[in-house]
Parts: sequence; C-alpha cells; structure tokens
Amino acid sequence: MNNNKLSTVKQREAFFMALYKKAFPIVARYVARMGGSLEEAQDIFQDMLVIYYEKVASAQAEIIVNEKAYLLGIAKKLWVRRYKAGLKNQPLNDFDIEVIPDEQLANGKILHYLETAGKKCMELLKAYYYDGLPVSNVATLFGYSGTHSATVAKYKCLEKVRETVKQNSLNYADFIE
Amino acid sequence: MRTSLNNIKTIDDYLLGNMAPGDALLFEANMLLNSDLPDDMKHQQNTYAIIRQYSSQKIKAEIVAVQKILATAPQHRGFMHRIADIFKKH
Repeated sequence: MNNNKLSTVKQREAFFMALYKKAFPIVARYVARMGGSLEEAQDIFQDMLVIYYEKVASAQAEIIVNEKAYLLGIAKKLWVRRYKAGLKNQPLNDFDIEVIPDEQLANGKILHYLETAGKKCMELLKAYYYDGLPVSNVATLFGYSGTHSATVAKYKCLEKVRETVKQNSLNYADFIE
Repeated sequence: MRTSLNNIKTIDDYLLGNMAPGDALLFEANMLLNSDLPDDMKHQQNTYAIIRQYSSQKIKAEIVAVQKILATAPQHRGFMHRIADIFKKH
C-alpha cells in the first residue's frame, strides 16, 4: 500500500468504504453464524479496520495476497478474544505498545489535554508515526515550506508532548508517594 | 537544530531502530554516563504510546463516520438490507 493514497480523511474514507463493501458481508456472516448481532458485527469490523489500517500504514507492511481472508482472520481473532471470552467491552488491545505501567492511568488525562491544547502537534505526529506518511507529504499537508521545516516541527512537537508526559509523570509520582 | 531537539532526534533514531549499529553502541554507553538519558527515553517511549492511542482513536472515529454513511445514505440501502438479511436468517 502506498501511504500517499491514505494521506487525507477523504482518501481514507474511500479506502474504508471499499473495505466495508468488500469484506463486511463475510465478517457479518461469520458473526451471525457465531450467534452475534449486527451491532456486534459492526463493532468487530470497526476494530478490525483499525488493526488493518495500522498494518498497511506501518513501515513493515507486508504484501497481503488474499485481503478478504486476511481481514476475516483478524475478525475471527477479535470475536474469540472479545466475545467468547466474555470480555465484550474490552477495548482494542495495544500489545505492541510499551507503556510504563505506573503511567498508564495518567495517559487518559494527558491525552485529553493534548487533544485540546496540542491538537496540531498531535495531528503532525500522527501523520509521521502512525499514518507513516513520507516527510514530503507531511510538509505539504501541514503547509511547511520544505522537508527540513517539517522535520524540525516534528521534533519540536515530540519535545512538547514528551515534556507534558514528563510533567504528568512527575505529578503522578508525587501523588502516589 | 538546537541541542535539545538533537537529543530528541537521537533517542527517536535509537528507539525506532534507525541508528547505525556503531552509533547505537555509543548511545548505549552514553546511557551509562548520562543519568538523565534513561528517564528521557522512558518518557519518549510513553510519548509514542500516547501518539498511537490518540491516532487509533482518530482512525476509529473516521471508520465510525463511514459506517454512518453506509447506514444512512440512500445509495447504500441495498447493501445494508443484504447485511440485515444475514442476521434474520440466523
């Protein structure tokens, strides 16, 4: 997958819409066969698309030969994990993320703060680290004059968010002591 | 770039595996000498986790918006009926 094709909300909308048309019927049939409802199929499908998007956006994206089978495979795993185990409300698992346990609780608070106070930075960092967009693309999307300015902006944003994380972790340490 | 940004970049390169093996060794040795570095690394790792959490929430919201279009737009009515039929049969 060329990440340039998933740079904007509009492009991603078309991407997700195509996947709904292509794979939602087979996932729905599977969930129905397992005794699930339409709402449950929709929940599973949403989480499956997040996982699939992360896969295609990542630097280590592999070539997926049979997309439908691959998507159904993810959906089956999600169903087994979240429904068969009776953990219907378990959020998407972030197994790959290394979070310092003591700070996990504080993350929700930081996130809320960053969504308002640091939205532009978070969007820029999302484009780099999550959407995996090339720097030239990020420069154009965010209105920077060139790749150097965009790169410097990335590190400035990273510094700003890291400082927030650090301050919050210090407050949290004070709180638990 | 100013020094603090270069430090951020160095940790970024190291944590994301974009550092040459020789430089990585040097960085690890520096970690033993510089007492602030392990903490900076920990905070930066947590920063990546927060970026990912923020981003996956945004992507999920975009997906939910697509699902809403499917459920409400007239041109997708036939498709949604076929989906609803799957659940009527079970």
